[in-house]
Amino acid sequence: MGKGKIIIVGGGLAGLMSAIKAAEAGVEVDLFSVVPVKRSHSVCAQGGINGAVNTKGEGDSPWEHLDDTIYGGDFLANQPPVKAMCEAAPGIIHLLDRMGVMFNRTPEGLLDFRQFGGTKYHRTAYAGATTGQQLLYALDEQVRRQEVNGLVHKHEYEEFLSAVIDDDKVCHGIVVQDLKSMEIQVYRADAVIVASGGLGMIYGKSTNSMINTGSAAGELYQQGAYFANGEFIQIHPTAIPGEDKLRLMSESARGEGGRLWTYKNGKPWYFLEEMYPAYGNLVPRDVATRAIFDICVNQHLGINGENMVYLDLSHKDPHELDVKLGGIIDIYEKFVGEDPHKVPMKVFPAVHYSMGGLWVDFDQMTNIKGLFACGECDYQYHGANRLGANSLLSAIYGGMVAGPNAVRYLKGLDKSSEEESSALFDDAREREKERYRRITEMDGDENAYVLHKELGEWMTKYVTVVRENKTLLATDQHIQELMERYKHININDTSKWSNSGASFTRQLWNMMELARVITLGAYNRNESRGAHYKPEFPERNDEDWLKTTKAKYNPDTNGPDFEYEPVDISLIKPRKRDYTHDK
Amino acid sequence: MSEESRPKSIQLIITRQDGPDAPPYKETFEVPYRPNMNVISALMAIRRNPVTAGGKKTSPPQWEMNCLEEVCGACSMVINGRPRQACTALIDKLEKPIRLEPMGTFPIVRDLIVDRSRMFDALKQVKAWIPIDGTYDLGPGPRMAESKRQWAYELSKCMTCGVCLEACPNVNSKSDFMGPAPLSQVRLFNAHPTGAMNKAERLHAIMGPGGIAGCGNSQNCVQVCPKGIPLTTSIAVLNRATVGQSFRDFFGSDNM
Amino acid sequence: MEDHEYGLHRLHSLLGVIPIGLFLIVHLTVNYQATKGADAFNHAASAMESLPYLLFLELIMIYLPILFHAVFGVYIAFTAKNNVGNFSFFRNWMFVFQRFSGLFLVIFLAWHLWQTRIAMALGTPLNYELMVHALSNPGIVIFYLVGILCAVYHFSNGLWAFCVHWGILVSPKSQRIGTYVSLVIFVLLSYVGIRALFAFI
Repeated sequence: MGKGKIIIVGGGLAGLMSAIKAAEAGVEVDLFSVVPVKRSHSVCAQGGINGAVNTKGEGDSPWEHLDDTIYGGDFLANQPPVKAMCEAAPGIIHLLDRMGVMFNRTPEGLLDFRQFGGTKYHRTAYAGATTGQQLLYALDEQVRRQEVNGLVHKHEYEEFLSAVIDDDKVCHGIVVQDLKSMEIQVYRADAVIVASGGLGMIYGKSTNSMINTGSAAGELYQQGAYFANGEFIQIHPTAIPGEDKLRLMSESARGEGGRLWTYKNGKPWYFLEEMYPAYGNLVPRDVATRAIFDICVNQHLGINGENMVYLDLSHKDPHELDVKLGGIIDIYEKFVGEDPHKVPMKVFPAVHYSMGGLWVDFDQMTNIKGLFACGECDYQYHGANRLGANSLLSAIYGGMVAGPNAVRYLKGLDKSSEEESSALFDDAREREKERYRRITEMDGDENAYVLHKELGEWMTKYVTVVRENKTLLATDQHIQELMERYKHININDTSKWSNSGASFTRQLWNMMELARVITLGAYNRNESRGAHYKPEFPERNDEDWLKTTKAKYNPDTNGPDFEYEPVDISLIKPRKRDYTHDK
Repeated sequence: MSEESRPKSIQLIITRQDGPDAPPYKETFEVPYRPNMNVISALMAIRRNPVTAGGKKTSPPQWEMNCLEEVCGACSMVINGRPRQACTALIDKLEKPIRLEPMGTFPIVRDLIVDRSRMFDALKQVKAWIPIDGTYDLGPGPRMAESKRQWAYELSKCMTCGVCLEACPNVNSKSDFMGPAPLSQVRLFNAHPTGAMNKAERLHAIMGPGGIAGCGNSQNCVQVCPKGIPLTTSIAVLNRATVGQSFRDFFGSDNM
Repeated sequence: MEDHEYGLHRLHSLLGVIPIGLFLIVHLTVNYQATKGADAFNHAASAMESLPYLLFLELIMIYLPILFHAVFGVYIAFTAKNNVGNFSFFRNWMFVFQRFSGLFLVIFLAWHLWQTRIAMALGTPLNYELMVHALSNPGIVIFYLVGILCAVYHFSNGLWAFCVHWGILVSPKSQRIGTYVSLVIFVLLSYVGIRALFAFI
């Protein structure tokens, strides 16, 4: 066979990194993205990227990083890939530095590192408070360079509709739709890497960008890919409530000395410092979120009785704040109109990150041959809760693993996708054309955006911080009702040109399918672990539940069947997770 | 704002266009007011109920958006005459009725969506990247003074939103001027210790077609940039650098 | 022209200062002699006319540079899409005035040249009387007044732009002070030019 061809779906950090790796190996890449890749959701990451470079004489090491990550993830992550990631981390930070990322520096001109939640070390490299944006731009620039070299072909404003999968469960390409001309086309490839990001839009309002519908992953799940650990959704403790979205206030605010407090008996109460003396404000996110939630919802001690607490930076040096946290200070000032240099910010938890995602093996390949996944859309690196500043790392590292493994996979094929029969591809395209035609003809009386809002409200209310079996079941019932009402959507817009409403309607179905995976996964898991907290089962139960959830789509029931798989704990023995004292 | 003075609803006049070659037209919408609304949440409200103020059913207006935190650059549009990000355009601070138009400097795709691909092409033209040897582990990058890092970081925040091009009188269909955004990137990459090795290449690129000569110093760009990037300083720095470069090219330099 | 655009722009900017700007200063200074009476003006004017290689000097130092500056300047002016309506910033106004003053100057200078230098070449002596006669029409006075103000503005603002384009003024602070300096030059040269104008009336 020839040199082979790789398709990458998604142009965030994971997609771009895998594209660079594949191009570097001399393989041509078709890169698909619903937005210009420079606008991918990776830009929203603020605080930094972890790597045990150990420049502060603290004795940090990749092993410590591994231990913090596994412990922070409540032992649900398979340990060998996490170890490999932590070992690669310092090299990744140096690589990004060489690409020109404007990381903050020490007086000697070396990389500076700050502290983040769930660790005792200064392990987080950062570029102000817009680290994700800076990293994405660096990779975007390298991909642009490969584009000029002729190895990467970008297809921006083209949406992944489905994978082309043969009867032997091997992936040979994808079907896409041009979001301007609305034309549906099929592309052949010898390997497909999906790096389609998170699914926060399932919750309506979250810290996620508007493209984070999880639609691509949801479609692949319906095509037979396993979706793993879906019930683990990270709720970030500090976000600004908003009409259109919940805007993240980075954990780096606390890493740089920010304190959480509210009034109790008329006096400021620094609750995290009191409850968790060892880690104080730098407990992992799930822990901080549950504390805030309990204080506001159960104890009614939020600011003015509302669901908000203070995140206070006003005691810090204003110039230092600008240099280290400028990005988020700007966001708060622009959207709230108050100056965090002077007054404490008002924040509340918000849906932030999906630890779960497409199931992949240690080579980042899904259970469908030739179909790889990396970035937030996979489930590999964070277990039951992700540590702050590990997401940028896992996205880039996932791409670094997926890219070369996709190349290795296609080199081992004895038949190129170009030689596959065209019937397979024609059928796939026609199927999508038919599906799209049916969407454009929907003329009921429901509005897709209204249904979405309702989905988000239910998911946010019942499948976030505190989960109860009764309401989880009710939520699943409600999602199924929404799926019924979905059939009566009115498309409102019959334009055959740049019709975002039709695209959204298609995505909404995939969102609802994944919503069921999340909800039922949570319902089944009768324990509390990491971000998954059930008052009915408040303890972690390793005996029954130290295992990975794998959801498999059942077309007959239009819902998930669940399987469970043991977790690889070959490196660190599980121990009780308790942040009231040092681990 | 006190309870009584709050409006019950707000009016938006949107300039629409069904496709690149279709004629533009205006539609007025009325959406219920809610505190802390921005233009995006008003557009979202229209999308949930696509009916004009006159009660006519219409297609929901199309616009681009993504992060809603002013870091992705997607939601640029002309709001009350000024190009800016729609996410940071807070309703309470805008004159009513609110007028929304697409950024006319770019080809219109549909309604408020425009085609900004020329900006990404310009980044290719000026070689806006650090030509690293490869992505394998080659040890730490070059050291850099924190003071220099701080101003370079300001330049690296450019999100290719296109607002500076929209405001620039010299970026239009009669000229091929690439606009301020890509020029400022040349300054950024020429400031990086590794990027500086290819300084001359980038300077030659902006001394070519569509390059820095197109700047007429109206300095609108620096006034409208949502990220506060010192664009005119970047251009002035590059003016000096290109003059120096042309002297070196003509009279010769050490390495000739 | 594409390939040489950078060079042409920079040449355009340079010629505006040297020699055209310098010539403007010399010209206004000679005119200013009119405030000291007809004889003083005639003396200064004839001193200029008695320079050796006059036509050659005029051609190299004045006509060709102005011709190039005018033609390329018109091209620059017409490639802009002026937008002071939505962007009424100080520098944007200066930008627009620079282009309008330039366009007006093309017309003004053509007229001015016809009335003076070409008339002289055709045998009319160029002296105080000629100007007094020409400026006996109030319309022409206004035309000249606007012409002088435009020329002085175009030069002083152009001097600032030259300093930016040639990389002399880089920092925002130096550009701001440069603006003040160009304003002072504008005021001083306007005074010289307008007083000379009224000396002929």
